[in-house]
Amino acid sequence: MPFCLPNHKTMIELSHVFKRYPSGNEALSDVSFSLAKGEMAFLTGHSGAGKSTLLKLISRIEQPTRGQIVVNKHNLSRLSRKRVPYFRREIGVVFQDNKLLNDRTIFDNVALPLIVAGITGDDMRKRVQAALDKVGLLARARSYPLTLSGGEQQRVGIARAITHRPALLIADEPTGNLDAAMSDEIIDLFRDFNDHGVTVLIATHELRHIDRLQKRVIALGRGHMVNVA
Amino acid sequence: MKSYFTRHLQVLIATLGDLVRNPTATLLTITMIGVTLALPTGLYVGLLNLKQLSRGWHHGGSLSVYLKKGAPGQIIVSTISRLQGVRSARYISPEKGLQEFEQRSGFGSTLTTLHHNPLPGVVAITPDNTSPEALTTLVSILKTEPGVAHVQSNLAWLERLDAALALGHRLVVILGGLLGLAMILILANTTRVAVVSRATEIDIIRLVGGTDAFIRRPFLYAGALTGGLGALCALLLLEISLILLSGPVHVLDTLYASHYSLTGLGFRQAVKLLALGTLLGWLGARLAVGRQLRLGPR
Repeated sequence: MPFCLPNHKTMIELSHVFKRYPSGNEALSDVSFSLAKGEMAFLTGHSGAGKSTLLKLISRIEQPTRGQIVVNKHNLSRLSRKRVPYFRREIGVVFQDNKLLNDRTIFDNVALPLIVAGITGDDMRKRVQAALDKVGLLARARSYPLTLSGGEQQRVGIARAITHRPALLIADEPTGNLDAAMSDEIIDLFRDFNDHGVTVLIATHELRHIDRLQKRVIALGRGHMVNVA
Repeated sequence: MKSYFTRHLQVLIATLGDLVRNPTATLLTITMIGVTLALPTGLYVGLLNLKQLSRGWHHGGSLSVYLKKGAPGQIIVSTISRLQGVRSARYISPEKGLQEFEQRSGFGSTLTTLHHNPLPGVVAITPDNTSPEALTTLVSILKTEPGVAHVQSNLAWLERLDAALALGHRLVVILGGLLGLAMILILANTTRVAVVSRATEIDIIRLVGGTDAFIRRPFLYAGALTGGLGALCALLLLEISLILLSGPVHVLDTLYASHYSLTGLGFRQAVKLLALGTLLGWLGARLAVGRQLRLGPR
């Protein structure tokens, strides 16, 4: 299925997307693919292939030069600046560099997506505890990010990305600088979320996970689609 | 609705915490605003005191009508007191005038060396209306009365004082406007620095779906709080100045045997100043944070 029209079963739909940076560097050219609701896929390619750019376009951190992107029924090019925060609450993003607030506790970091959405009190506390429990860090709730190991920090980032129960989970090299065992643990965590109905898209250059999980692969090479498996 | 208030309360408490955690910077800003606000407010209070003082003179600002020698004082007084615009008229005969003069001036013994009483009969008038226009009319009427030699009023002097007070008032308005602007700029700059120093945090809040309003809120609270505390500092500075001035004023007061004391800002005006400080602080923060958010990434 190289191309399919967006419908209610589609989570991500890219058609003929181009992204050229003001520097003249063309990061993506003519990228089209779709991801169904409940699907899990790996986005692969060498560094510089455009994986990060693609994820930034899907999470509306950047906008394409040309082409259309529809995520969870939102046409991102028609999304007003005012609506962007509400769109972001429907997705969860795990960043390669975690993007944790180092002057706040693990608990406060994970609570952030709930607080900005106006969820407070017991409801908030329960959800944060559930998310931290899921990534096995409930005991560290009162610690600060810098007292945690790299793998633990990555797991805090994942807990933050799922605490508001998003329909779509995006991760940019979530296993970037972790050892094999820890990296497997993290990927298994994503598969677990996928088993619970969350659509998952992970950018990675580690082919080991792809072999291990047997999930769909979207490959990029120098900004172009290489193949859609 | 409840969660809305809870959220605002939480932001308010968090902002207070932030201010307390940086005591030096906070105190510096608050004092800067305090001085900025205390200047026009102090001038205003000074003006209020002058006005109060001159109002006292306006009250005692009776006209003095000097009668011709030998004019029938009692008859003239009864005519004058029936005139329009005259509230009361009191006749001071030459004898009584001499008596009062002896008592008050301390020149009593000198006067006894004179062979005759040099003082004319005087009618002291309290007018109904002390406005300059009304007084001018009354003076011109009084001058046409028979037996009247001379009418003396504090009119010209009061007019000059009124003009000076009006000028002072205008000055307070201009100075207040300028320093209000300065205060907005102080807070805009403080807020700009705060926004820049928290750029990473703002970025992350945006990435997890925080709205601009959510991001602005703590900065606006900080601005309003700093502005309000600055106004409180201004009130404090003013109160201290009044206490320092009250001693010398009291001495002056006793020397002039008047019943005057300094007044500060009333309760309502103090509340108004606090509200104004809070509002200007909010405004400064709003200007800066709005601009920074527009400049920043989305």
